[in-house]
Amino acid sequence: MDFWVEFLGSLLNGLLTTLQMVLIAAPAGVIMGLLLGTMRVYGGRIISSISFAITAVFRGFPLLVTLFILFFGLPEVGIYISPFWAAVTGFVLCSGAYISEYVRGSILSVEEGQSLAARSIGMTKFQEILYIILPQAIRRAIPSISNEIAYMIQYSSLAFAIGVQEMFSVSKTFNSIYFRSVEIFSALAITYLAIEGIATYIFKIIEKRFRVPP
Amino acid sequence: MTSYSFFLSYIPFIAEGALWTICLVGGGIGLGFIIGIPVALGQVYGGRTLRYVIEPYLWFFRGVPLLVQLFLFYWGLLPSIGFKLDPLETSILVLGLRSGAYQSQIFRSAMESVEKGQFLAAMSIGMSRGQAMLYIILPQALRISIPGWANEYAIMLKDSAICFSLGVMEILTRARYTAIATGMALLPYLFAGIFFILLTNLGTGILNTAYKRLRIPGSIGV
Amino acid sequence: MLEVENIYKSYGNVKALNGVTFSLEKGETKVIAGPSGAGKSTLLKCINLLIKPDRGRIFLEGEEITSPNTNISKVRQKIGFVFQEFNLFNHLTVLGNVMIGLTKVKKMPKEEALRRAKEALEMVHIGEDLWNRYPSQISGGEKQRTAIARALAMDPVLMLYDEPTSALDPNLAAEVLQVIKELSRSGMTSLIVTHEMSFALEVADEMLFMFDGRIVHAASPVELLSNPKHELASRFLRLGGGNGFLG
Repeated sequence: MDFWVEFLGSLLNGLLTTLQMVLIAAPAGVIMGLLLGTMRVYGGRIISSISFAITAVFRGFPLLVTLFILFFGLPEVGIYISPFWAAVTGFVLCSGAYISEYVRGSILSVEEGQSLAARSIGMTKFQEILYIILPQAIRRAIPSISNEIAYMIQYSSLAFAIGVQEMFSVSKTFNSIYFRSVEIFSALAITYLAIEGIATYIFKIIEKRFRVPP
Repeated sequence: MTSYSFFLSYIPFIAEGALWTICLVGGGIGLGFIIGIPVALGQVYGGRTLRYVIEPYLWFFRGVPLLVQLFLFYWGLLPSIGFKLDPLETSILVLGLRSGAYQSQIFRSAMESVEKGQFLAAMSIGMSRGQAMLYIILPQALRISIPGWANEYAIMLKDSAICFSLGVMEILTRARYTAIATGMALLPYLFAGIFFILLTNLGTGILNTAYKRLRIPGSIGV
Repeated sequence: MLEVENIYKSYGNVKALNGVTFSLEKGETKVIAGPSGAGKSTLLKCINLLIKPDRGRIFLEGEEITSPNTNISKVRQKIGFVFQEFNLFNHLTVLGNVMIGLTKVKKMPKEEALRRAKEALEMVHIGEDLWNRYPSQISGGEKQRTAIARALAMDPVLMLYDEPTSALDPNLAAEVLQVIKELSRSGMTSLIVTHEMSFALEVADEMLFMFDGRIVHAASPVELLSNPKHELASRFLRLGGGNGFLG
């Protein structure tokens, strides 16, 4: 039917936008989380407080609020961001905050003996963190991080609220024209499930690749 | 400045949204609890046929975005079975189904972490399976689950904001109206954000105090 | 080679080290024995600066390592430390564990680091078939010998062993003790904390008995066996050492 061709075509476009957002925001969020988490554990009082504050704010604000502030609020102080980049920034801040908590937890879970051994062969604190602690901490955090990315895929739908033409936005538009709600949103749901399935599969491979022992 | 005081006059309006937010959260977690416990029991003790029902439920309600679920139910599924629910009711239904999926997992892992020996000990003093569940396993599992529930509350609180998309008059919806009415966006949304943080801390604070009071000394992992 | 002068260390009200003084000449092997809580482990960790003493001074090869100007990393590279719990780096292979100090701390080129690592592993009798295994895949005795190799690869002038076999089954402990004995006999200056009394008597040039944060008796194995003067020391020897003595 014409409807399906039109809808699926537009949905595909929306999917591309969704994927673009996620593929940019996910790595950025992980990096932000790593930095914040490490800062929180190893920074002095000032650095770890700043890191804590950032984490607390972006975990505490609903993602929608963050998006609205970035897109509707910032122009009031002279900062104008496009819908796409406001959305990406919001995702990075939100996921980064959550990931920093997972990273922090996994750093703290590395046994003290590893640190003692590193120091006993003459490593500086920096070397100890970089070569001994973080490699182990990151491995332990992989399941939580991949869970967080799965959430990001789901919550990417919220970008519609600031005008990004992603999958949900497209579906909403079609719904308001054709009113074939069950079909439209079921198809959308299945699409999200499919993307998440693929993402989960990729993460399983990543986890296997980095497991010790292999 | 007049626009600043204009905004301040809207604060009660935004704050009133907390009532709707609490309805959403309370209803969602409550419904989720009622669904979650049986699902968890079904997963741990049920047979294979039960799993054919439970697993798709979990997969759908944890994997599909909340936004999509809300629209699917409100515009699609409910009308198609002739059920008329308003935005608030639909939201609570969907939040509850979703929360049930997550809570069932919290509860399932809590039950699995109650030592096997507890069950055997209960049976050996003559309790039936049902009694062992009711008096020995469940009370411990419920206590162990409290941190998980505190987390679920925090998540649910933030998810409730998504219900703005159906027009529920909760905090974010009202902040949005305020922004449109006053022409100022930054203040209303910042206020909303801070308000959410306060509600989160209040709720988790209460749950954590309850947890400390009810805690089993020496229990695992906490 | 090593001079420890009047070391004090407290944790709150607990006096872990209460004025410890002794010295070690190049090539000597001394064993520290005593009940749990006597401060032996704390003392060892003060020597390689993992713990900072409250008072007192320590000299290594004539230089004061407790002074504020010391380059701690350089000092630690000269001292090899073997832990009771091995503390091998879990995410690295056996070879990786031994090499990482060479490549990252000493900044050696990879081929040279590889060569030295293999030498160290051969010295502790760890065969090639284990070099690519991970810590979780080898036995306790193999882990501890790898830990010794890791310390040896750094070319230390002094080796410190903190109850190296206490976490091992007796049959696995023997292979580790053998390695320590060989190193000591080949001239490595060693300070060993252990409960293995028969091993201690074989390998030590002098035995130091610690109790309540102080060295209460020092004697050579010969003296101890022929004429045990100090009551604590002889009781300790009779019970074969271990944690049976005063808990």
